Amino acid sequence: MKKLISLIAAGLMAIALPSKAFSSDSSDPIVIPLHNWSSQIVMSHAVGQIFESMGNNVEYVTTDSQAVYESVRLGDVTLELEVWEGAFGASFRAALEKGGLHDAGDHDAVTREDWWYPMWTKEACPGLPSWEALNDCAHLFTTAETGDKGRYLDGPVDWLKHGTERAEALGMNFVVINAGSAAALWAEIGAAEADKKPVVVFNWTPNFAEAVWPGEFVEFPAWEDGCDTDPTKGPNKEALYDCGNPAKGYLKKAAWDGMKDKWPNAYNTLTKISFTNPQIAMMAKMVDIDEMEPEDAAAAWLDANKSVWQGWTN
Amino acid sequence: MQSFETNKDDLIFGLSRSINVQILLAVAVILMATRPILPEAFIRLPDWAILSWDVWLSNFFNFVKDDLGLIYFTRTLTAGLENLLDVTGNLLFGKRRWPHLGPIPWTSIAAVAAVIGYWLGGWRMALLAGGTFVWTALIGQWKIAMQTMSVLAVAAPMAFFIGLFLGILAWKYDWFDKTIRPILSVLQTLPFFTYLLPAVIFFKVGPTAGAVATIVYAIPPMILMTTVGLKKVSPEIVEAGKMSGSSRWQMLRYVYIPAARTEILVGVNQVIMLCLAMVVLTAFIGMPGLGAKLLLMMNSFKLGRSFEIGITIVLLAIMLDRCTKVWVVKQPEHFEKETPWWKKNAFLLAGIGAFILFFLLAQFIQIADHITRKQDFSMGKEIDVLIKTFLDFDPIQATTTWLRWFLNVWVLIPFRNSLLWIPTPAFIILVTAFSLWLGGRRPAIYALIFFSIVALTGWWDRAVITLYTVLSAVILAMLIGIPMGISASRSEKWSNRILLVCDTAQTFPSFIYLIPAIMLFGVNDVAVVFSILIFSTVPLTRYTIEGLRTVPVEMTEAADMAGATRRQKLINVQLPLALPTMAVGFNQAIMFAFFMVIIAAFIGTQDLGQELQRTLAGTDLGKNFVLGICVSLMALTFDLAILKWAEDRKKALGL
Amino acid sequence: MTDQPPVISCKNVWKLFGKNPEKYLENMPKDHSYDAISADGYIAGVKDVSIEVNRGEMLVIMGLSGSGKSTLVRCFSRLHDITGGSIAVEGQDIMALSEKELIELRRSKMGMVFQSFGLLPHRTILDNVAFPLEMRGQDRHTRRERALEVIKLVGLEGREDYFPRELSGGQQQRVGIARSLAIEPDIWFLDEPFSALDPLIRREMQDEFLRLQDLLGKTIAFITHDFDEALRLADRIAIMKDGSIEQCDTPDRIVLDPKTEYVAKFTREVEKSKVVKAKALAKHSQNIENSGPSVPANSTIKELARFLMSDSRDAIPVVQNDGEKEMLLGGMDRKEALDILFGSD
Repeated sequence: MKKLISLIAAGLMAIALPSKAFSSDSSDPIVIPLHNWSSQIVMSHAVGQIFESMGNNVEYVTTDSQAVYESVRLGDVTLELEVWEGAFGASFRAALEKGGLHDAGDHDAVTREDWWYPMWTKEACPGLPSWEALNDCAHLFTTAETGDKGRYLDGPVDWLKHGTERAEALGMNFVVINAGSAAALWAEIGAAEADKKPVVVFNWTPNFAEAVWPGEFVEFPAWEDGCDTDPTKGPNKEALYDCGNPAKGYLKKAAWDGMKDKWPNAYNTLTKISFTNPQIAMMAKMVDIDEMEPEDAAAAWLDANKSVWQGWTN
Repeated sequence: MQSFETNKDDLIFGLSRSINVQILLAVAVILMATRPILPEAFIRLPDWAILSWDVWLSNFFNFVKDDLGLIYFTRTLTAGLENLLDVTGNLLFGKRRWPHLGPIPWTSIAAVAAVIGYWLGGWRMALLAGGTFVWTALIGQWKIAMQTMSVLAVAAPMAFFIGLFLGILAWKYDWFDKTIRPILSVLQTLPFFTYLLPAVIFFKVGPTAGAVATIVYAIPPMILMTTVGLKKVSPEIVEAGKMSGSSRWQMLRYVYIPAARTEILVGVNQVIMLCLAMVVLTAFIGMPGLGAKLLLMMNSFKLGRSFEIGITIVLLAIMLDRCTKVWVVKQPEHFEKETPWWKKNAFLLAGIGAFILFFLLAQFIQIADHITRKQDFSMGKEIDVLIKTFLDFDPIQATTTWLRWFLNVWVLIPFRNSLLWIPTPAFIILVTAFSLWLGGRRPAIYALIFFSIVALTGWWDRAVITLYTVLSAVILAMLIGIPMGISASRSEKWSNRILLVCDTAQTFPSFIYLIPAIMLFGVNDVAVVFSILIFSTVPLTRYTIEGLRTVPVEMTEAADMAGATRRQKLINVQLPLALPTMAVGFNQAIMFAFFMVIIAAFIGTQDLGQELQRTLAGTDLGKNFVLGICVSLMALTFDLAILKWAEDRKKALGL
Repeated sequence: MTDQPPVISCKNVWKLFGKNPEKYLENMPKDHSYDAISADGYIAGVKDVSIEVNRGEMLVIMGLSGSGKSTLVRCFSRLHDITGGSIAVEGQDIMALSEKELIELRRSKMGMVFQSFGLLPHRTILDNVAFPLEMRGQDRHTRRERALEVIKLVGLEGREDYFPRELSGGQQQRVGIARSLAIEPDIWFLDEPFSALDPLIRREMQDEFLRLQDLLGKTIAFITHDFDEALRLADRIAIMKDGSIEQCDTPDRIVLDPKTEYVAKFTREVEKSKVVKAKALAKHSQNIENSGPSVPANSTIKELARFLMSDSRDAIPVVQNDGEKEMLLGGMDRKEALDILFGSD
């Protein structure tokens, strides 16, 4: 068995070579969670391979992207590489309050989640991306069950995107329907693609969809702090959620409190790690468009971008 | 359907069943007719009456978990389970754990599978068993398939042993049987989301929680089959054992269990099938493998590759199913005297030989060891194009658009609104009347209690929407499945073909149906109903075929000799006799619909499933459990009434 | 023959089925009929039976289905616990035995053959036959040796590696017989062993069985619903109805002198000359003419038909030949014998 041979070889090398500078890290595996979207998986593998190059053991577990914070808190998994402000901010903050995990710094990348349309929609409704123009085009988005109102497909209810509240606060002529999963959103766009039917759905960046279906976010009244808690913020003085989402949400890393002591070197690297939007999009593309396996994509990316990550490891 | 009024215990307050049904209906109608003037409390339960089960249950769970320290106990178990999973994980996909031997080359596994297949059922089984693994490797899913199998290899034996043990207890001790039966009924109707959350909380996220949820899910049929098998052992064999001077342990070990072999192996078959189904679904709580990959592919809109994974899962399921079924009926055969030992053990030797041969081969030829991404034969992109072209086909677009409009506007939305319009007490009374009419007193009492509990949890509207979806789908499924079954049952050949389609449709991972459903109908109730429909039609068709084909020949011959036309024969002879069996199919259709309606939350619904799905992301065990119980109670109401009817009817027909 | 104490001795044995039968039996009025018991919701499987089985004797228990014959035999081996009365096997009260002692008794003294064979389908013939030996913990080698011995005894040599379903019904029952003999039991129970077989095979197996019994001389309780079979095999026949024994006697006596109307129903159809043996008709008081040919005691009247027709004496001497010396049992009334032969009652 080749693996066996290489394992023995590795063992011999470990004995022969003077112990490495990173030897203070525990030999227990660092557990990295994987979720169900590509960029996160590739990024996790990339970081895992960086840790391995530092001599650490790494193991991956697939987990739910909301439940993972509870697991990080308990130390079942060691870290989380993509904490999206909009999607997971609430879960992250809740876990933070309970204790057991902490903020390990931001990526350069910014995130955005909002109402979005594929480019062909703009052809039917040229006034876009302004939200007023969208509202004027509401008739383009009508369906059998929504009657004469337009239909906006929001993310799953548990993502708490408050689409219904926003449509109401801004007096939009739209019915908000909640999809049950990300897959449902893509299926809806995919179905509309064939005959270029106008659609407006929930979407976010960075993700693979921008490479498959070029599109734009709808421009709502700009986000003001407190728009979700204070009715006086935003154009409608009597309603909450009358602004668009923050156009530049954070993308954080989170770490289990115990990581610092158990794997100090890896922890040190984790705090330095920072990816940018184009880098993340690149990784997602390698898997989603080029159909590479995530591990291979991570290895290829690390190979091509040594200058980016080698600085993080010392 | 007709009701039976001869039974003494059907009398309630001295009145016959049909009178009671009429009284209940009258009350319900009065409540509905007076709805505009009814006080609010009669239309929906007022908030103060709703019991906060979820909070109590959460407190209870937390108490058990933290104060009683159950979590420390389960976490210890987790460690043990993890060791087992590490071993299979290492062997099958090279997880870096003890014994550090794996991964076994795919060719070795495929070859051994082929040898086992040949031993069980000749060349056809060899082709199926070996071919499934070859397909898996060539399509580039070897590693994820082995991740799935590594959990299956631990979960199925554990479910088997636990089920066998509990089954023996239930057979031996009547009180245990009586206690465990209602629990099993609830477990079998509990939505799988309800298995998942406690598993994660008590057994750590990842493969261990997945394995635990899988084991719990697969145990009930094993218990039932064990009990059935042991009870069926012929009294003469038992007496022969006793007269041979067997002690109690010897009786169990050498007489009962071997004599109940057939039923126990049927149990094994069910355990494996349920494990496989669940192992895929546990992707939702982070089980790696085929399910997780499938979710990932669906989340990045790769229909083709999702489809390929679906095929792999179907192949694995059919292979495991067929192999275990052949194993059930395989009888031992003697060797002639003086057969040399290597001939007696030819299959064992061939298996070991093939394993070693390919193992060695794999050391030198990379492709025999593993297949890389570039070497595989995945046709994901091509299938994507195919599916999209198909959906883009104008007549299909036109049909689905029309269906979407018609069903939504004229059928589903009015039906749903009218169900929601019915005042809660009237609704409960209607369900009770239905159960009384169909099943008699006991099912009616259960219906009353169960639906009242649902009302008291405060999830009434969502429960009604769940029920509406289930009913719509099952009614539509009947319109499709029963005629299909009737026409297929006319010939042996077509029966077998349709049954194979049923098998395939049933083992295809349920959430793959969601994507085509959405693409055809968009995110709305039609898509939800459509995805359930596919799943519910299967048992209806299957049991219609089975019911019609098992009508005793003398009866159809008698009808022929009486000069009945095909139609007369069908209506007057075959259908009435097949009806009890068909009712079992109808019942299963409802159970499947309750199962699928929860998964349909991934399309987007406003029912209990959606709430359940939300609880998965958190730690709110109480709410998760309450929602699960609501689904389970509604399903059980139907289960009890329909099965009681089928049983009575069978007795009346002397079948 | 009856000097030794009986092997099995039943005294007023009751077996009732139903809820709490002991209590019911205690309070039940004596002489409660079978139907009266049924009306109370109980079934009298065995109703006040007293019977003995002597050493080396073949007792056939005959009755129609539901008459309680199987139940009675199962009480002998305590497959059923009796409700009232007592059963002693070799002087031991079997109801007083502990589970361990009972198992020991079955392991050392009892063998049983079943109507549908009761073979373990997953074991080879050899392993089936060796099963009782395995249960009592004999090592592999000795039990194999012994099993082969009995397999040979029942004429199944060469089939020991077969599985039960690969054999015919008659062969399967030979396996059942071999198994029951493996531990060399003193007491042999046979529960309708030949009822499931074809008539031709049944006849053959009966002959085979008689051969075995000649060889082994076991104490036997044999159940059948076939009166002809009972007549053919039995030393004594006990005829049962509704849980009670109607009559228990030698075949000749039953045929010649049925005690109840129920028994008479069976004997009426029987060709008596084929059953009644010369010894049953031999009487001491008769004036015996010592001169002239005698008839052997165990010949049936049918077998003596030609002789009876040609002989003219009123009384014919009947001689018992037990190997060495002949013993005169008495004289057989020729007229009585001819009546039996021609069936004039």
